[in-house]
Amino acid sequence: MSFEHQDVWHWQIATYLFLGGLGGATVAIGAMLHLFESCDRKIISAAVLSAIGFMVIGTIFLLADMLQPLKAIYALTNPRSWIFWGVVFINLYFLAAIAYVIPLLKSWPHLEPYINKIPQVILDLLERFNRMAALGGATAGFLVAIYTGLLISSAPAISFWNTPALPLLFVFSAFSTGAAFLLLLFTFSREDGSSNIVEKLEQLDAALIVTELIILGAYFNFAFFLPTGARESAAILFETPMFVIGFLGFGLLVPLLIETYSIFFARHARGSTALMVTAGSLVLVGGFLLRYYVLHAGVFQYPW
Amino acid sequence: MARYGMVMDMRLCVGCQACMAACSMENQTPYWNGKFRTHVEDIEHGRYPNVRREMLPRLCMHCENTPCLSACPSGATYKTEDGIIRVNYDRCMGCYACSIACPYDARYPYDRKDVKTAEKLYGDDLSHQVPHVDKCSFCEHRVLEGRVPGCASTCPTNARIFGDLDDPESEVHQLSKTGKAKPLRPELGTSPKVFYIPA
Repeated sequence: MSFEHQDVWHWQIATYLFLGGLGGATVAIGAMLHLFESCDRKIISAAVLSAIGFMVIGTIFLLADMLQPLKAIYALTNPRSWIFWGVVFINLYFLAAIAYVIPLLKSWPHLEPYINKIPQVILDLLERFNRMAALGGATAGFLVAIYTGLLISSAPAISFWNTPALPLLFVFSAFSTGAAFLLLLFTFSREDGSSNIVEKLEQLDAALIVTELIILGAYFNFAFFLPTGARESAAILFETPMFVIGFLGFGLLVPLLIETYSIFFARHARGSTALMVTAGSLVLVGGFLLRYYVLHAGVFQYPW
Repeated sequence: MARYGMVMDMRLCVGCQACMAACSMENQTPYWNGKFRTHVEDIEHGRYPNVRREMLPRLCMHCENTPCLSACPSGATYKTEDGIIRVNYDRCMGCYACSIACPYDARYPYDRKDVKTAEKLYGDDLSHQVPHVDKCSFCEHRVLEGRVPGCASTCPTNARIFGDLDDPESEVHQLSKTGKAKPLRPELGTSPKVFYIPA
């Protein structure tokens, strides 16, 4: 047996996986907050718009990494391929998220002239079905987030990726980055109810990080006990300081400690803003590092 | 309809790499960038002084259960009626999903620079006109004319035996059916159509 690093998917694909997960999860969590909590519509609309932007940038990175990006029009040919489903989910996501965000943009007075250019019939329809679009966007966002993990877990010869734990890890990490991004935005909200939302997002993110740690524990336990490429990959990750200190330390444990402190002691006074911004930013950087190093540690186990 | 396959007799392979050269000439692979459709792995076993050297010729296994075909979103990877796995260059978008899915390292990118160099080298005879992910085609163009692939035809020791796995008279059928020749990594369930007689 020989182990060789995969050398076709690099930081561009890691960026795509990160931004896809972040964009998907931000809309999913944002729409749930909008549907079930009374919260700052301005912030939700800013979050959904940024999420759409993340998805666009992620898709550009994916296309730029291809040999023939213009031929991506053929991507909807083979339903047995995860990329086929990725294209379906991302397109549904764009449709639902754009339909969902347009009525919310009315909360920004200087955007009103642009929105009023859309025919009134369409605006009325979008307003009427806004909750349905929110639900559609949330579902598509979840599907995009889980697709990023399913895509890379389908490689049979990269045994570290080819496990059921990877899509779970990616989806929980995506939701954690989504919660952290919303947390960052809500920290700057001036509305009264926002501190309540910040508190909820902190609790959600802390719970997601704990779940991520449990999955990581099970995942590495599994990888280290198998005499395959999975063990090789796990060893590579544990010998990479940016994974151990950068992702595990500063991307998971430090934000978890900050959020736990904030949940129990900070009482969401203005002074905790700096702490929240730090925790949120670290989770986002950690989310990228996870994907970058998991891709980097993908080793083929060749029979020679 | 045939079901083409190949048997590699590792007892006979001397690692001369004539197969790689023949394939490269036949299929215009970018040898100038060290890219080939077939390779000969030079493997060392054991520790000094008890060492043994083994040559393992490899190429696309033309699997029955094809991970690359499942992974390809654009339908560029397809299976012919004779079970040969091929790439339609005009549909390939070069997303590398097939390269990631292949357990046998059978694919490589035929990129823009390779196409540019090939244009200069081959002129009107150019066969790779657009960038794509490339792999062995079992020299289908030769097989359809009743000839064997370039690598098997060139091999000076006849270490590569090509034929129809469904034809009871063929050598490849007999070697694979009797278990004398075995596929690589059968546990993956890919059912490769390239078999190996160990050295």
